[in-house]
Amino acid sequence: MRLAFWLYEGTALHGISRVTNSMKGVHTVYHAPQGDDYITATYTMLERTPQFPGLSISVVRGRDLAQGVSRLPATLQQVDHHYNPELIVIAPSCSTALLQEDLHQLAAHSGLPQEKILVYALNPFRVSENEAADGLLTELVKRYAVAQEKTRQPSVNLIGFTSLGFHLRANLTSLRRMLQTLGIAVNVVAPWGASIDDLRKLPAAWLNIAPYREIGTTAAEYLAETFDMPALYEAPIGVEPTLAWLRSLIEKLNTAGAERGVPPIIMPKMHEFSLDGQSAPSGVPWFARTADMESFSNKRAFVFGDATHTVALVKFLHDELGMQIIGAGTYLERHADWVRKELEGYLPGALIVTDKFQDVAQIIDDQMPDLVCGTQMERHSCRKLDVPCMVVCPPTHIENHLLGYYPFFGFDGADVIADRVYLSCKLGLEKHLIDFFGDAGLEYEESEASSSPEEPQPSDGNGHLSPEVAADVVPIAEEGEMKWSDEAETMLKKVPFFVRKKVRKNTETFARGNGDSMVSVEVFRQAKESLGG
Amino acid sequence: MQLSRDIQVIKEDNVTHSFCGLACVGWMYQKIKDSFFLVLGTHTCAHFLQNALGMMIFAKPRFGIALMEEGDLSKNEPTLEEIIREIKADHNPSVIFLLSSCTPEVMKVDFKGLAHTLSTDDVPVLFVPASGLVYNFTQAEDSVLSALVPFCPVAPAGQKSVVFLGSVNDVTADDLRAEAEALGISVGGFLPESRFDKMPAIGPDTVLAPIQPYLSRVAVKLARERGASVLHSLFPFGPDGTRAFWEDLAREFGITVDLRDREKAAWEKIRNQTELLKGKKVFLTADTMMELPLARFLHSAGADVVECSSAYINKKFHARELEALDGVRVVEQPNFHRQLEDVRRIQPDLIITSLMTANPFVGNGFVVKWSMEFMLMSIHSWSGVVTLANMFVSPLQRRSKLPAFDREVWLEGVMPSAE
Repeated sequence: MRLAFWLYEGTALHGISRVTNSMKGVHTVYHAPQGDDYITATYTMLERTPQFPGLSISVVRGRDLAQGVSRLPATLQQVDHHYNPELIVIAPSCSTALLQEDLHQLAAHSGLPQEKILVYALNPFRVSENEAADGLLTELVKRYAVAQEKTRQPSVNLIGFTSLGFHLRANLTSLRRMLQTLGIAVNVVAPWGASIDDLRKLPAAWLNIAPYREIGTTAAEYLAETFDMPALYEAPIGVEPTLAWLRSLIEKLNTAGAERGVPPIIMPKMHEFSLDGQSAPSGVPWFARTADMESFSNKRAFVFGDATHTVALVKFLHDELGMQIIGAGTYLERHADWVRKELEGYLPGALIVTDKFQDVAQIIDDQMPDLVCGTQMERHSCRKLDVPCMVVCPPTHIENHLLGYYPFFGFDGADVIADRVYLSCKLGLEKHLIDFFGDAGLEYEESEASSSPEEPQPSDGNGHLSPEVAADVVPIAEEGEMKWSDEAETMLKKVPFFVRKKVRKNTETFARGNGDSMVSVEVFRQAKESLGG
Repeated sequence: MQLSRDIQVIKEDNVTHSFCGLACVGWMYQKIKDSFFLVLGTHTCAHFLQNALGMMIFAKPRFGIALMEEGDLSKNEPTLEEIIREIKADHNPSVIFLLSSCTPEVMKVDFKGLAHTLSTDDVPVLFVPASGLVYNFTQAEDSVLSALVPFCPVAPAGQKSVVFLGSVNDVTADDLRAEAEALGISVGGFLPESRFDKMPAIGPDTVLAPIQPYLSRVAVKLARERGASVLHSLFPFGPDGTRAFWEDLAREFGITVDLRDREKAAWEKIRNQTELLKGKKVFLTADTMMELPLARFLHSAGADVVECSSAYINKKFHARELEALDGVRVVEQPNFHRQLEDVRRIQPDLIITSLMTANPFVGNGFVVKWSMEFMLMSIHSWSGVVTLANMFVSPLQRRSKLPAFDREVWLEGVMPSAE
């Protein structure tokens, strides 16, 4: 038992519904108490679904438990009658899982044909969102995929693209654009938009693309084993990884093509991948070499997130933008070994593995990086500390679900990420000017510094309880706060606003170390000398 | 008070899209400023508060989850001492509310005993039944207020005053207080007040005036334990409800007031809005349990309320509202599948519905208003009349301002699973 506030990963139910909500003709029935279908709101509001997600709750009430009755058979009949789905997935919630009911038998009482029903009962105390989603997708692929003729021309499946995925649509678009440039057809995207029939025809493709470590890899592995389908598991995030991904894709397809007597795919000219068809496909390689970016060599970045994005972002910041990585971590313990292996040689210390956001916030507070790439949690932690932060993976907030084309995958994605890094960080020449001239004319920015343009406003206008809630946030005084003399405070004001917090903190740590209870001008000077500020 | 005639309430079952009682944490922890709300629950409870309520934006919220993990399932009784210590050290609350949830309910955790053990004289720990096995959405506020009863001093007999039941923001509270005093009604306070040590005195001559429609249990409890009387009137929403509320409350104090002119003036003030609402078919799908008074206002304003559904209806507590809704189809615990069919058939002009169902209704061509918004706006009494009316009118007007919308074109690819 521990006190928790926010958690990184969602529940098993959430993972299950992410898969079924992605699919055509599939309905999930939660066997759960009132309110456990709150997840529906995340689809209808974050994805703004114009139709009702295929999710129904078969309400379990306290008195039903006392009387030993269940609505499940009746709910299944209703769902069948109203939606006529091809498949109903039945999922218990954490509380009903404890009841140890025979859900198969209860489901059979509905009279619905067995092949229409899948009881997906996980241990919700052991399995979380990503594992549940990955597991259900694999289960469905196993259930439906059948051996068949390959398509005549080279084709691929895109596996693991799931409702509420991070920048899902844009990533898909970016991949589709590259595949189109290569003349490779997309056989099936799963589960996003896939029907049961689409799952059946998965083995018709020549190759599976499963770029998300969290969801889809297991299904691709099953398809590799059972149907001898090659797979590409890398995520094409960053320019070099995208080039490597393209080469590998072509090579694998050409190997398959040679057996089938299909002429090989030839890597087109690079400009053919660009949006206008006549320019460099990405601006990043040149951007990274420009004089402006030299200052990035001194910028210290910290990355924390899921497995896929943590690995990709560390490599991108380090390899392609030449930044320093001061640490990285993941909240997915299940994938920690993979992340560790992928990041060998990149990290100055051990990979951080925790699902407690407070721990991560503490590290950021201690290290005061120049850039944090993280989740919404890190965003909130960084806001307090005035540390630049960009969100690179779930958990997300409504403002991570935008309308525009902001992929993370492919050449287009490299440009998007580089732009965000650039906008998040304090800049080069500008920084020199501010450093040199201090606060001249920039003082006004202090009050705004905590709300960068894309910062979510507390009242997000999405019916969340936040409007009133937010009005109430009270700044919390830190324990044992250090006093500053007025003169020292004035002196601190001359330090550029964006490093002021850091300087304040370092000075206080220095003062505490010296046993001072107050920062005077003298202490401040000593600290400056000693710390090289 | 009994119904003068048997009002038909259709009772259905199953598949209601709404939240569980834990939702009340969202507003209660703000209302009682020196409190901490501790949910004994699971990952699901935490994920709910975090996502559905969109409350992830606070650095150090005064609520949290005592997270039950697999290892805790085999233990006889949860041990919360360490967590309580942590909360006290970090937040220094005057009171800790311990909310139940489904998993410990299924495990038959003795919450009362647990709360009792954890309580100290300085910081009481109060059990609040809130689990989705029994309670919907706003109903757990009723549980919170019931838990606060022992901390309301006993008002001596002869001390005649009104205590308003229900958490509202300070502006609304001030407004209600001023209105009562202007009518010559002595105000004993609000349950809840915004600080734990300021809860109102309640005794045999207290008149309890419920200002939210989901607080029947605490009203009954106070009537039983303190001999307080409970005002049975309309809830103070809209010109009609507000007039009835104040006139009836004044009567309890032996004061006769005639607020007909005031009501008329209030209707006049929202004439443009009611003109637009007249004859409009409105469907309320059931969510926050504010549905009955909202539907009654719409009905009085001339709208055609085609269905008013609510997760819980108490024929005694809601008697006056039900009477005023005579002739309107009223459903308790509606079945959403059935509602969806009816909505498609009836084609209402406006649907008041939950966060879970709003956008899909819009996608189906309907105009909607979030039911939850009514909980976050000052819509009480005279000063809330315009806001209340505007909330129904605004989505209708907005729709008429936006350009024509070809669903075939603009919804393509938005939700591939539905195509």
